[in-house]
Amino acid sequence: MDAGAATQPLPMTGSSRAHLGLASAELVREAGGGDLDAFEELVRRLQRRVYGFAFQHLRDAHEAHDLTQEIFVKLYRNLGRYDAERPFEPWFWKLATNTTINYRRKRVPLPSEPGEEAADPGATPHAHDPALVEALAQLDPSYRVPVLLHYYADLSLEQVAAALSLSIPAVKSRLHRARGVLRNSLADAEELGRP
Amino acid sequence: MITCARVRVLLEAYVDGDLATDDAARVHAHLLTCADCRRQHEQATSLPFRLRALSSPAPRPTLVGEVMRSVGAERAGYRRSWTLLIPEAVLAAFILWYLSGLDGLSSIASGVFGDLLSLGSGSLPHVPPVDVLLLLALIALMVVAAFHLSILVRLTPRVAHE
Repeated sequence: MDAGAATQPLPMTGSSRAHLGLASAELVREAGGGDLDAFEELVRRLQRRVYGFAFQHLRDAHEAHDLTQEIFVKLYRNLGRYDAERPFEPWFWKLATNTTINYRRKRVPLPSEPGEEAADPGATPHAHDPALVEALAQLDPSYRVPVLLHYYADLSLEQVAAALSLSIPAVKSRLHRARGVLRNSLADAEELGRP
Repeated sequence: MITCARVRVLLEAYVDGDLATDDAARVHAHLLTCADCRRQHEQATSLPFRLRALSSPAPRPTLVGEVMRSVGAERAGYRRSWTLLIPEAVLAAFILWYLSGLDGLSSIASGVFGDLLSLGSGSLPHVPPVDVLLLLALIALMVVAAFHLSILVRLTPRVAHE
């Protein structure tokens, strides 16, 4: 996913305009100090990537919306635990990943279960690469999470490693394995699609 | 000689340039001669680009507003939780008033000290039991209030400043 798309302008309040020029680290600091306008601007900047991350996990627009909200509320609650000496993005995505895993545990049925999309067709918009989306949905979460963080949320290998508390070789290994599984799934899908 | 199965296991590392030179050379030589593995290699090369191009619908325009409403409700709840301390403060003030402020407290303390000194001589303490009970209640109340205060301070959203 293009990181630039993450900062698409949306309608905003007059007070949050003052925070437009601030770097994310500064916004986090101000939000942590109780500045709700700074927090609102932070949510605006992150919302596309967080929603996309949630959507790729759940493949349901309504649930992705709920999960995105939950992630941001958790962010607000945990701002006091953030160490400003460390980079914000890995810390934030670790929180987002943990919230997503807990959300999926609470959730019944699981996303890959058949018939779910049929239950609410409007909730899952048409994907532009349906074979890949389907293959990704079948992937084990321990492989899907690093793939989404690296290729979708645009985190570097170092940031993914920090977010998942893994070493960089371990992240690389998971990415290679995940892409191998995806490649095989896509090849199988192509085979089935052939007349 | 390297097999197709082995090449397919190594393809992603080969695409990322993470293979040792010897292995990379073997995979490269195999790809020149095997059309099936070449097709797999093309898939492996295009996959990171396809993953990056994966799109999701845009979040609802109401998302930010809903998040801010939830956060606002949390803040209001947090402020309300400070009211926990009010009954504790009122009760503590009442006990202090009953014990006649600091004079009362110092007389109790000196009385207890005097009693301790006279324990050796066998005489009984003469501090009114209700005063001692109230003093203990005051200490317990202070401990509970300090505990509540520590929880509330921990809940305060703030970042560690440099």
